[in-house]
Amino acid sequence: MNLDISFHKSVYPLDVLKKAAYRFIDSFSIDFIPKDNQIYCTLNFNEKLTDKQCEYYLDQFKKEVLDQDLREKIKKETEPIRNLVLAQAFSKTNLIKDE
Amino acid sequence: MSKFQTIDFYKAPKKNYHLLPFRFSDLAKDKLILTNLVGEYFVTEKKILEDLVHHKLEQEDPNYKALRSKHFLYDDQTSVAKDLLSIKYKTKLNRLAEFTSLHMFVVSLRCEHSCPYCQVSRQSDDKVKYDMSEEVALKSLDLALRSPSPNIKIEFQGGESLLNFELIKFIVEEAKRRETNKNLSFVIATNLAVVNRDILEYCKIHGIHISTSLDGPKDLHNKNRPRPGKNSYEKTIEGINLSREILGPDMVSALMTTTEASLAYPKEIINEYIQNNFNEIFLRPLSPYGFAIKTKKFNEYNADKWFEFYKEGMEYIIELNRNGLEFKEFYTSIILKKIFTFTDPGYVDLMSPSGIGIAAVIYNYDGEVYASDESRMLAEMGDKKFMIGDVMKNTYEEIFLSDNLLDPLEESFSYSAPMCNECAFENYCGCDPVYHHAVHGDFVGRKPESDFCKRNMSIFKYIFNRMESDSFVEQLFMSWIQ
Repeated sequence: MNLDISFHKSVYPLDVLKKAAYRFIDSFSIDFIPKDNQIYCTLNFNEKLTDKQCEYYLDQFKKEVLDQDLREKIKKETEPIRNLVLAQAFSKTNLIKDE
Repeated sequence: MSKFQTIDFYKAPKKNYHLLPFRFSDLAKDKLILTNLVGEYFVTEKKILEDLVHHKLEQEDPNYKALRSKHFLYDDQTSVAKDLLSIKYKTKLNRLAEFTSLHMFVVSLRCEHSCPYCQVSRQSDDKVKYDMSEEVALKSLDLALRSPSPNIKIEFQGGESLLNFELIKFIVEEAKRRETNKNLSFVIATNLAVVNRDILEYCKIHGIHISTSLDGPKDLHNKNRPRPGKNSYEKTIEGINLSREILGPDMVSALMTTTEASLAYPKEIINEYIQNNFNEIFLRPLSPYGFAIKTKKFNEYNADKWFEFYKEGMEYIIELNRNGLEFKEFYTSIILKKIFTFTDPGYVDLMSPSGIGIAAVIYNYDGEVYASDESRMLAEMGDKKFMIGDVMKNTYEEIFLSDNLLDPLEESFSYSAPMCNECAFENYCGCDPVYHHAVHGDFVGRKPESDFCKRNMSIFKYIFNRMESDSFVEQLFMSWIQ
């Protein structure tokens, strides 16, 4: 079974939709077609799923898009701080020999 | 016009706040968990999260203060938050600089058991073919003692390690003879079938711990662990009692493996541990390696079935504690340490970067070096993806800088893995490149399809929901951290 849904580009960028879709990779595959101001999505479900189950997943996908959008906002605001110290990690390993 | 000002007039002037990096995941219906960069957590509802992200949270709101104190946001009053976060982050990663504390020596692949889930053992009398030589042992010891870690634990593995006890003695004495500034400790992993007083007296002199296998009540244990005489259970219990008599009660620990036959008996298995005076159990799922795959044992249950087993066991353990018996579950206590402290317990499966090579390394009987115990199990299936060198051919630098170690470490780092990088539980989880390579064919795997992810997510949610819903459980879990 296939289900279609579209999102306005000014509301949700393609990256947000892709991240939301990834979480359902075990339940459905998805085709994205950006056209004009819209991103058209076709959700392709396994034949074994009932119509009701497919509708449920579509609903979950829409909720996940909202969550991913929120995550994107957090990520953008906190990007500089997130790039904190990792350099210390391998500092005392004795793996570098003196020449 | 009203004679009174509105409530907003009397509120403190609104100050701007800034978000600190954090992630969120669903915990239960209408409940979310937020975790910051170092794993401090905050359980809340969607409305609060949205207010927080859209900068609508009022300073007077108790949630604001809680979020500020837990480093989810900072304002003019708490500009030090960034520095504190940085220090905590460094502390969490500190273990990386002092790497490889666990060194496993496979002293023999021979074993008198024929367990269908076993990954590595051989029923053979061929000592030359399947026993580690002194030459290989010495080279392995050279490598072990070069590790930056100040604490070196040497664990003797098999097969049945006691079938080559002479080599164990050789390695222990050689390690102690060498002048190092390392804190050395020794563990023998054994089924105890061939243990005797002389062996244990030697262990006492040298402070060697015993780690054995106990799968549950007699019928289940003997079904899981067949040996000639069909008396594995009796041998194990006899061995545990003798070990405790000679070494003391704290020097003996036991591990169980969950087979499909175990799934219906969590309470009985836990009771078996209690009857034998253990104060903890590790409800451990079967690894998808070696003979476990060949004999199709691994596919007999999935993550959901195992989680039901774990949950039933945990509820029983909680009730036992409520009734005054102190008893804990090992894996849960590891996760709780990761949740509530900044010290990483160094458990290989729950580390990112992965613990392979960093937390543990294994020297096989033939001199081949593997990045973890699971890696050599995979090699027994013909897949040497995680073989990082050979003690007879390679230097320390060649082994610990080999692509077979660094590639999976780098690629599987969960902070940059799809879905893990946005998961609120990432700080408590691991990445296990060996599991994902064995099951999914690459070091990362697709997390929605990964049983490793499903199993750990279920456990994390269970732990937080139980702590949120029952103050006794919260206190109990806090006590498991010590």
